[in-house]
Amino acid sequence: MQAVIETRKRNPMSSAQCDDAEHAAKLLALVASEQSRQAFSELFRFFAPRLKAYATRQFGNDQTASDLVQETMTNVWNKAHLFNAEKGSAATWIFTIARNIRFDFLRKNKHRQHDLSADDLWPVLDDASFVTDDEATLDDTVLMQQLALYCEQLPPAQRDVIRAIYIEGRSQQEVADAFDVPLGTIKSRTRLALQKLKELMISDD
Amino acid sequence: MIKFHPTEQHLVNYVTGDLTPAMLMMVGAHVDMCPVCQEHVRDIETELANKVLFASIPQIETSSADLDMLEQIMAQPPQAGSTPRPSLPSYEISLEGQRFKLPPTLGRTQQHIGDWQKMFGQLWRAPIQVGGDDVLTLLYMDKHTKVPEHTHKGREATLVLNGVFNDETSDYRDGDFMLLDDSVKHTPQTRDHDCLIISALDAPLQFTSGLSRLLNPFSSLFFK
Repeated sequence: MQAVIETRKRNPMSSAQCDDAEHAAKLLALVASEQSRQAFSELFRFFAPRLKAYATRQFGNDQTASDLVQETMTNVWNKAHLFNAEKGSAATWIFTIARNIRFDFLRKNKHRQHDLSADDLWPVLDDASFVTDDEATLDDTVLMQQLALYCEQLPPAQRDVIRAIYIEGRSQQEVADAFDVPLGTIKSRTRLALQKLKELMISDD
Repeated sequence: MIKFHPTEQHLVNYVTGDLTPAMLMMVGAHVDMCPVCQEHVRDIETELANKVLFASIPQIETSSADLDMLEQIMAQPPQAGSTPRPSLPSYEISLEGQRFKLPPTLGRTQQHIGDWQKMFGQLWRAPIQVGGDDVLTLLYMDKHTKVPEHTHKGREATLVLNGVFNDETSDYRDGDFMLLDDSVKHTPQTRDHDCLIISALDAPLQFTSGLSRLLNPFSSLFFK
């Protein structure tokens, strides 16, 4: 028998639980920006057993269920920077990742040449859809002029990233290399900056 | 303004992936085109996520195997992520020198789309191979084209990608999604506009009127 470790003790970093959407989103942001092990552990302890219960019902096979949990949570660890709180909650994002993995698992057994992949149907982890959404809202010239003024109000780290990407036209990867920080950090700085800019715009109306 | 939508059950099954591959493509392409159904899909995702992930689990215990898994995942270096693409790819398909925009669901699976074949009249088809038993087809009807009256041995799902066609019941325009079964006989036709549609059939068409019944032996033309 494997030892069972009591996990009910609350994480000291917070009083909230992962069923609080804002809290879960914050944890994902911490995983994205600083690869926080503590934040990820909290997400894992909450979501992994629930995903396991779901996957066991779906597959009726303990090993396959574990594989689904592992693949899902690996994506959460690696791709937290692709989570966009404006599109839905952390739980919904994690559910759609698990849904995609289940879909591909179910098809893997059939070995058909023309099979669709889950990513074709639901591009949950597509970099492009995340990045271009933000760019699309910035496409307008007038908006750009206003934003240039608002940029001055951003924290310096965010302002530098926005300047490099939107004014100098460099890719996020190039900016990450130039600043010697992980790409995820650039992405979250970009996201935070864009959120801040949006707030500034709305409050200015 | 889109008038015809998939049912709620279709959307739920789309979200969970529990439709035939052809129907997943059909519903996915409609959702791409329809803000109303996009909203529904988001609601269904949220509802299912809450049901699946917030269901009360009597004993939530983290086993040592789980902790091993946790350590194994976090031992991986954070992923650099791929370089973002500069702009949203725009997907198109061309026929006879005309270009048509494809919804992303079809655009992402463009390698599954076969070559155009001309059928009778000004009707063209291109098969989309996605596995499963349904037959998924792109159909192009030029202006003033008529498909003889027919019914469906099984069911036929149709989505208008671009243009207008009509039958005895209504006009169907960009984004309209219809599901017909053997209770319906109809004669789809175009008038002053051409029309690009995608259709999923689970059995061959059955032509029902006059001379067109002679087409029945060849109805597999519509079904392969």
